[in-house]
Amino acid sequence: MDTVITISVASHSKGHAEQAIDSAFSEIKRLEALFDFYSPDSEVSRINRHAGLSRVTVSPDMLTVLERASFVSKETGGAFDITTGALLVLYDFYHGIKPQQRAIEKHLPLVNYKAVHIDKKDTSVFLEKTGMLIDLGGIVKGYAADRAVETLKRAGIRSGLVAVAGDIKAFGLKPNEKPWKVGIKDPRAEGNDDTIATLDLKDMAISTSGDYERHFILEGERYHHLLSPATGYPAQTCQSVSIIAEEGALADAFATGIFILGPETGIKVIEKMGFGGLIIDKEGTIHVTSNIREKIEIEKPLTRDNKS
Amino acid sequence: MQLRDNYRIALLSAYAIVLHGFESLLPTPIPWLRLGLANIITLIALCLYGIRVAMIVTLIRVTLSSLFTGTFLGPGFMLSLGGGVTSTLAMGYVLHLVPRLFSPVGLSVIGALFHNMAQLLLAYVIIIQRWGALVLISPFVILLGVVTGTVNGLIANLIMQNLKKDGEKAQNTGNIIRE
Amino acid sequence: MKNLLQGTTKADKVLISVLIVVSLSGIFFMQEVMPKRRTVLIEVDGRPLYVLPLGRDRIVEVEGSRGKTIIELKQEMARVKDSPCPTKQCVKQGWTGHGVIVCLPNKVVITVGNDNDDVHTVADAITR
Repeated sequence: MDTVITISVASHSKGHAEQAIDSAFSEIKRLEALFDFYSPDSEVSRINRHAGLSRVTVSPDMLTVLERASFVSKETGGAFDITTGALLVLYDFYHGIKPQQRAIEKHLPLVNYKAVHIDKKDTSVFLEKTGMLIDLGGIVKGYAADRAVETLKRAGIRSGLVAVAGDIKAFGLKPNEKPWKVGIKDPRAEGNDDTIATLDLKDMAISTSGDYERHFILEGERYHHLLSPATGYPAQTCQSVSIIAEEGALADAFATGIFILGPETGIKVIEKMGFGGLIIDKEGTIHVTSNIREKIEIEKPLTRDNKS
Repeated sequence: MQLRDNYRIALLSAYAIVLHGFESLLPTPIPWLRLGLANIITLIALCLYGIRVAMIVTLIRVTLSSLFTGTFLGPGFMLSLGGGVTSTLAMGYVLHLVPRLFSPVGLSVIGALFHNMAQLLLAYVIIIQRWGALVLISPFVILLGVVTGTVNGLIANLIMQNLKKDGEKAQNTGNIIRE
Repeated sequence: MKNLLQGTTKADKVLISVLIVVSLSGIFFMQEVMPKRRTVLIEVDGRPLYVLPLGRDRIVEVEGSRGKTIIELKQEMARVKDSPCPTKQCVKQGWTGHGVIVCLPNKVVITVGNDNDDVHTVADAITR
């Protein structure tokens, strides 16, 4: 998780704030060690190494994350699937390499969230087939934000914002008695700070999955990291999906899953879960769930002026 | 005549600088209450000796005052300069256009108004850039301009009447004399 | 007294009366239209740094291009306690309940009023 983490906190005491922030950072680091797909020492890698071989005893955090992942997989009809790790390794986003159809077909049978067996009693996890790979990148940042916020609250902080890359959770009110303000990145804008909408976040988490994060463009086609478990290719339905929910882990996982589902089905799922959602589809049209329509401020992307 | 003009300019500028310096020493219980006493001099210069003299006096006063306070070419200097030049031009133009319509009092109010507006505009351009705040205080600024303009105008008027009584070639209704 | 007013024209009086009416009605209008919550906006070099409510007394330090400007909020007013500028006009201005205090050399602008919701506050974080 070589991600940028930002923690903002409001407190009467600078020392107190710094202590709390340090604890939160340590907690995130600890989780990183557990969930890092690319690190051979992580718990996730250990699980992957034993795929098709044996059960692996895991930490409570891992159990929780896997359970949440399974829940989201069910609710999205399999669109969110952590076993797409087996497909992800076929792509090289850094060098812009995509796999051959044959390679994808060979790996597709390894993609099946139902083949991840969780045993709560002996706190173990077992992946059915050899070659299966779970990648928790689509849920773990949101989970980390949840845990970091919990750490801050336990340290006595009453207002703060944790951003693990683009997965954000905010609680309490800022010193000016207003909620924390979060911007949603414009998927097609150059700068990282160019937002297409802003909203207030009070005791909620927001996560965005977008086709602009890890990606490369080959022969006019955009290849990004949100792979469809059914086809093995990047889902071509949306530019970005943002989900607002109480739990960061769910916001993160659902954002990924809804992206794969696409706008029409996606909006229905979001509304069924009672979450808030903003989907920017392939054409750039913005779809917003009715429950946040009043609370979100959509900026016109063309004429934005910061110094009004 | 050039020589007489220069003498007048020097004298008036000196008065203006002293007045400005004196005013800046006064404590201001009310924010924004800048009396602009030096403008009295500018006004008298305008009414008695014409716009050229008035403008030069203004420029000298602004420049030297800022040199003395170490704010030369700084943002404060820019505001003073902008305000002073604009107000002198406005007063001169009105005087030229409708010579008998306003007395020095009215001219002073016009000058004060333009002075403040120019400063607001410059402040917006140079630093503030939040026109919301400017709109917020503009009624106060107008009121302030009217009050200080009236006071300064009355003082200038009084001075000019006394000068007339002393036999100088001065008019008390603001006609321009050019030599 | 008569002497003082001698020479003033009708136009003078009209001008002054009109302006007074305009400004007073402007002030009145503003008070009516905007009884929102009172806040202080502190900007340095054109960037909004703080928007603070006037309810709680506090002292704020901001770093400008010349050094630290110390701002004090007490009850419903604000003032500049100290600032690294030559003439200290901002400090001399004293307490303000409404309007703007500016320290030009240090590029600090303090706006006291109801209006600060207009400020386009930059988002605290961006989700991507």
